[in-house]
Amino acid sequence: MKQREYFSSRWGLVIATLGIAVGTGNIWRFSRIVAQNGGGSFLIPWVIFLFFWSIPLIIAEFAIGKSTRYGPVGAIAKTAGPKFAWMGAFIALVSTAIMFYYSVVTGWCIRYLVSAVSGDLFSTQNHLQYWNDFSSTLLPVFYHFLAMLIGGIIIFRGVKNGIEKVNRILVPAMIIILLVLLVRALLLPDAIEGIKYFFTPQKKYLLDINVWLQALTQNAWDTGAGWGLIMTYAIYMKKKEDVSVNAALIGFGNNSISLIAGMIIFSTVFALSSVDAMNQITQSGPANTGLTFIYLPLLFSKLSANESVNIFFASIFFLALSFAAISSLISLIELTTRTFIDFGFNRKKAVLIVTVSGFLLGVPSALNMDFFTNQDWVWGLGLLLSGAFISFSIIRYGVDKFRTEIVNGPGSDIKIGKWYNVIIAYLVPLQVTVLIVWWLIESANWDPEWWNPFHTANVGTSVLQWSIALAVFIFFNKSLVKYTLRE
Amino acid sequence: MKFETIITLVIVVGLVWGGFGFFLLKAFKFEKMKRENGKTEN
Repeated sequence: MKQREYFSSRWGLVIATLGIAVGTGNIWRFSRIVAQNGGGSFLIPWVIFLFFWSIPLIIAEFAIGKSTRYGPVGAIAKTAGPKFAWMGAFIALVSTAIMFYYSVVTGWCIRYLVSAVSGDLFSTQNHLQYWNDFSSTLLPVFYHFLAMLIGGIIIFRGVKNGIEKVNRILVPAMIIILLVLLVRALLLPDAIEGIKYFFTPQKKYLLDINVWLQALTQNAWDTGAGWGLIMTYAIYMKKKEDVSVNAALIGFGNNSISLIAGMIIFSTVFALSSVDAMNQITQSGPANTGLTFIYLPLLFSKLSANESVNIFFASIFFLALSFAAISSLISLIELTTRTFIDFGFNRKKAVLIVTVSGFLLGVPSALNMDFFTNQDWVWGLGLLLSGAFISFSIIRYGVDKFRTEIVNGPGSDIKIGKWYNVIIAYLVPLQVTVLIVWWLIESANWDPEWWNPFHTANVGTSVLQWSIALAVFIFFNKSLVKYTLRE
Repeated sequence: MKFETIITLVIVVGLVWGGFGFFLLKAFKFEKMKRENGKTEN
């Protein structure tokens, strides 16, 4: 298929890819996980895994997408060989399944933005009740529809006029808003206590293997590395475009934004909590929404005696959160759309199919929190398999050949050394194996019936859903290759 | 603020924000070089 669309420049590509990486995970998951894992003690392994997981896999995705010019199915078939197209299909499925419920999350963010702007959010002191009143109605379905519609329209407009143009507004605006919120948070009395907790390492946590595994998990889930999304945007890189410097910019940029978000949350919570701040910040709440949708609105209401000020800061916080969610959602929609385009559909038809089916298949998650949690668990963990499949493809291709001919190929600004071979061939597979085994054992601890596939989050449900998907894709592997690599 | 807090803050913020700043400057430098080379070739 002839490549027709490109990002207009390096900056267009970098901003759009940063839009993939920066999502709601940077703002709400990161702070909660830091709090649960000993503050500063968590930050040390979190930075280390940026070098051993995130950046190497972002480099891999940029290089595969740029060299093959295919979505995950074709890209993996071309890199690992046609026998392994099913791995690409699995990567595409995982991100597509995440799109179904991530659109619901995006809808929640938009709903809370509307509530904050209208002042309705401050009409109550019982924010758990406010959340329950919202989530038990059909409103989440409406906002999920709105999120899919916005995402679909952006993707319909294409790469340059849709993805790039929108991200050029959303990403800088989100960063400016977060900086404004950071200044406000740091000026609160006792904000320093939050900063102290955020950066103070505690030996018992630093020596805890679970903290290290949580730090690796955060890198895997938060940077967008190994999801197939960066691979998809890389299809639209110009040939002269660099891989490694851009990948480092995305990895460091994503984690920089997480640090800003963490400082905002910790300063605010420690400054304004009338009860135990740590207890509040570590509460997961329904579908891990506790901190963002239940506790932060309460804190915003205490920010100032002037309600207009509170409304302003709550509104810009939820605006930043909505921007982060939308910029990630559109990359998920684009991945699925691109997979259809590779199968021979035109963009118009592909977007229509993806938007309509994305809405319909997201409805169960919008209506039922258990279903949402199940999908989040199964496909969130599935992302680790996606990372492993990308690493496997490069090993099949030849790690050194991949590094010298593709990563360090035409357009590269810097040359990556042999250390990259060690990380991709040994460290990434090792990290995936350890993480998957650890998460499955963890789930067996919280669910004695770990084998039961009809429970919300355990070994049984993950293995069953992955197995069905893998069996179907392996069975239809020849067709996947035939219809994707048609030249 | 404790000594270990300051050290962690400097290392974490320095590495992450410093890394971002470093590669941003590199990207600007390489873009400028590519543009100049392009002009020469034209």
